[in-house]
Formats: sequence, C-alpha cells, structure tokens
Amino acid sequence: MWQTSKADKLLIVDEDAVAGSDASAARTPGPLRLRGREFPPARALVMAIVNRTPDSFYQPGLTWDSDAAMDRVHAVVSDGADILDVGGVPAKPGPEVTVAEEIRRVVPFIERVRAAYPDLVISVDTWRHEPARAMCAAGADLINDTWAGWDGQLADVAAEFGAGIVCSHTGTLTPRTRPHRAAFDDVLADVLGRVLPLAERALKAGVEADRIVIDPAHDFGKNTWHSLEITRRLGELTATGWPVLVSASRKDFVGETLEAGVEDRLVGTLAVTAVGAWLGARVFRAHDVRETRQALDMVASIRGDRPPARALRALA
Amino acid sequence: MIAAAALCPGPPLLARELTGQAEILPDLRHACMVAVARLVAAAPDVIAVVGPADLTATWDPAGALDLTAYAPALGRPAAPGAARTTSDGERSALPLALGIGAALLDKAGWDGPRALWSVGGSAPQAECARIGGDLEAPAERIALLVMGDGSARRSVSAPGYLDERAEPFDAEVERAVRDGDLDALAALDPALAADLMVSGRPAWQVLAAALGGTGLRADVLYSDAPFGVGYLVAVFKMRDS
Repeated sequence: MWQTSKADKLLIVDEDAVAGSDASAARTPGPLRLRGREFPPARALVMAIVNRTPDSFYQPGLTWDSDAAMDRVHAVVSDGADILDVGGVPAKPGPEVTVAEEIRRVVPFIERVRAAYPDLVISVDTWRHEPARAMCAAGADLINDTWAGWDGQLADVAAEFGAGIVCSHTGTLTPRTRPHRAAFDDVLADVLGRVLPLAERALKAGVEADRIVIDPAHDFGKNTWHSLEITRRLGELTATGWPVLVSASRKDFVGETLEAGVEDRLVGTLAVTAVGAWLGARVFRAHDVRETRQALDMVASIRGDRPPARALRALA
Repeated sequence: MIAAAALCPGPPLLARELTGQAEILPDLRHACMVAVARLVAAAPDVIAVVGPADLTATWDPAGALDLTAYAPALGRPAAPGAARTTSDGERSALPLALGIGAALLDKAGWDGPRALWSVGGSAPQAECARIGGDLEAPAERIALLVMGDGSARRSVSAPGYLDERAEPFDAEVERAVRDGDLDALAALDPALAADLMVSGRPAWQVLAAALGGTGLRADVLYSDAPFGVGYLVAVFKMRDS
C-alpha cells in the first residue's frame, strides 16, 4: 500500500542536501538553448504531442501509423509548434512496451522528422536510458523524463549528446502506475524538494544549465486538488529561475474540475495554459497546438511581452 | 467483551468535502452510516476504531483526518481575512483509515468514549492477533469499528491496474465475514494481500482475534468495487443484541 506522506517526508530531506547549491538558489532566468536555437524567457513555447502509441488516453492510435504521425508533424509545425514531443509508451498502466519495442516505435520516426525538419526541436517522452540514447543518436534534442529520474542514467545520456532534460515530479510513483490516495503536507514543497535535486543531478552529470527544464507534472502522483494547487502556486516554481514546463493538456484534473470528458477539455486546458503563462511558465505541452499558441500569444500581449499583431482600432 | 463489531472501508472519497460538488457513492456512505448506527445502538462503553496505517500505534481519540493533505484548497481562507474553512483545525491529524472512522463516528453523533488503534500495514498475523486479544480483554463493553479496504487491483482502471487474483481474494474475505469464518480471516496471506494492494488485511486479522471463536455471522451491507477498489461494509450480529 502506498502511503505518500510518510515516503515524501523521508525523501524531502533531499531539499536540505542541496541547500546552497546551484540548483536550490534562485537562478536568473536565461534563454533555453536547444538544437542551437535560443529561446528567451519572454517567449512561451508550444510543445506538440505526437504519440507513437496505439493506446494513449486522447485520440488513441491517431498517430500510430507513421504516415499519419508525419502528417501531424506537418500540421503542428504549421500551427506554430516550437517543439515536438514524441513518445512511444503511454503513461497509464497497460501492456508492457519493451525497450526494443519503444525504440522501434520512436527512433525511425525521429529520423524521418529530422530529415524533413533539420532545425525543429525534438523532445522524446521516455524514462529509460536505452531508448533515450538511441533517440538522441537519431536527432532528439530534449529528454522529457516524465517519471522523475526513475532511471538515473537519463541525465548521463543527455550530457553525452548535448541534449536537454526535463526534471519532473511524480511523488513516489513507479513508471506507468497510478496514484492511490496521494497525500502531501505541502505538494509544492514536495515538488521543489524533488525537481531541484534532479536539476542538480543533471548539472553534475554534465547537462548544460540552459538545457534543463522543470515540470511539476500535473496528475502524476497527484489528485485533482493537488494539480489545482500546483497550478495556483506555479509562481513558486518559476521563481526558482529554471524554465517551467506545464503539461496539463486534456488531463483528468481538468476533466474532474469541469466534469468533462477528454473530448471536452480544451477550454479548461487553455485556462490552465493562460494561468501558467501569466505565472511565468515557459513551455506548454499540448494536443491542440493552434489554440495553445493563440492563448499564449494573447497572454504575452497582456503581459506586454508581445505587441498586438495588428493594432488599428481607434487609431485611424 | 466485544458488544458489537462492524467493517467499513476507508477511502478518502468517504470524506464528503474531498469529492467537490458531487457526492460520490451515496449508497456506500449510507451503508457505512447504517453499520455505525448499529454499533451506537449496542450502547457500548467505548467504540474502538481499528485501521491500517504505516505503524501500529494508539492515537489521540480527539483526532481527525487532515483534509488538507488531500485537498490543499480546503485549508485556505475562503476569502481574504476569513477564518479557515475547516472546523477541525485544532484536532490532531490521524492516518487515513482512522480519520475516516472518526468522521463516521462524528456523523453518527457518537460523543461517548472512543479509542483509536492503528495496525501496521505489514504487521504479521501474530501481531494482529495480539492486538485483537488486547482489545478483547477489558471488562468494558467494546464496540469495534474495523476499517480497511479490499484489493485496489480489481479492474484495468483500478489504482493498481487489474490483477486476476483480486476478485477471488475479496470474494473470500466477504464469504469469511458473512459466515463468521474467523479462521479464514486469520489465515489471509499478508504477502498476497500486499501484492493485491489490500489495505484491510491487518485490521481484519485484529478483528478475527478479538471476536475469538464466537462463530458470529455478519450482515453484508455493501460489497462492490465501483472504482477498482474493493469496498466491504458488514455488521456482526451479536447474540446479546
């Protein structure tokens, strides 16, 4: 039986271990550098989801076929995606996907995308170092480690290839398991107590600081109340100076909050996106790229970071 | 002596505040209230709540579940300057199963003496039997509220995904409770129970020891796994009540 609070209290000791280190002191936000491109802090990025799976939770099997997946890449690039996030294993429990199968699903596809888009930033959603190495060799630029450093060698792979890494929070979950009665004294403290040491570990492994991203991981190891709390308090994460990734697209906490099925969660997702952008998050993992881009542009203009596309009203 | 005994599950969703605007599983909630009402009706000297937790321990009888561990927003002021929304701010925090049990007693209006005992989730049967014996010993009339859940691996959408052994395991527990087959409860395999994410096993083994060889049978008021976790509500029929 998984009793979160006790385990969390034990592990949160890590926070003290890194006190005063590079990772725990607030950093001055700088550009994110991936594939030789530089993304300044004021420019929020859209990370488009492309699942190479038959059984992901939203539109399962949509891009299982390689040609369909390529069509999706063309579409999301045209819609304004800054980063692709390619995954070969669904987060939910289900039939085992072996390392070899994950490589088979993802690596040839990355090669195909890389050939078509030499400058596009490609992220890979994986938690095991063997597939990650093959994916980086095929041209991936960012390892999106959704399972919170379960495999300690992922950071070594990122360093080896000059790639970036996403340091996420899943409580104490094993990959591909569901949270059961998750409880925290303070969910935000728990997130900080885990992702900052992971960022530190990545730095020590040799990943460059401007390629490290942190992610509170909505829904992972959390109930709906917890995901709402990390959304409300996202400013405490962005205050660390590390670029923050928000991955909330059509997730269960949106569905439970609005009593909406996966097909009906876009508006709720965009609300999370707008709040996250306002609080300074910099990367938004999304199914709906055009809508997300539009919401982010609107928030950027409200913040004063982006002039309106065409301002004419009452100016003639 | 044991004057009455009931089994209830202890999922967070039984705390009405945690499920938001919707009341989830009103049937389950009702069954639990019926079970606890029967304990109260037995007019015991004390109601002892026994439930699984990380460690075997006794707890502050005035304690309550800390809802904010599950729903941080419930600890926030409703409006700037407003008082905390929870009225339990001064009560010490209980582990989940005991907190849900205490809330059931609160809701049933039980303001008599209560005792709260947790039993470690990995406690071997012998330890459970010793605790059960300690409960049974005093001369007072004790009502037992035994908290614990069946397998959390009852379906593919269950917290622990599907394990084919889960349903037979829960069915055997239900049968043993219904038939008063306390030996069968005492013989539950802790390792298998842990594999199947069955939280109730140690508490049920405490119950088996406390009721001794009475041969009492139980009414099963609820037995289902609507969200992939086995919930069992039952009340033992005592001979003198």
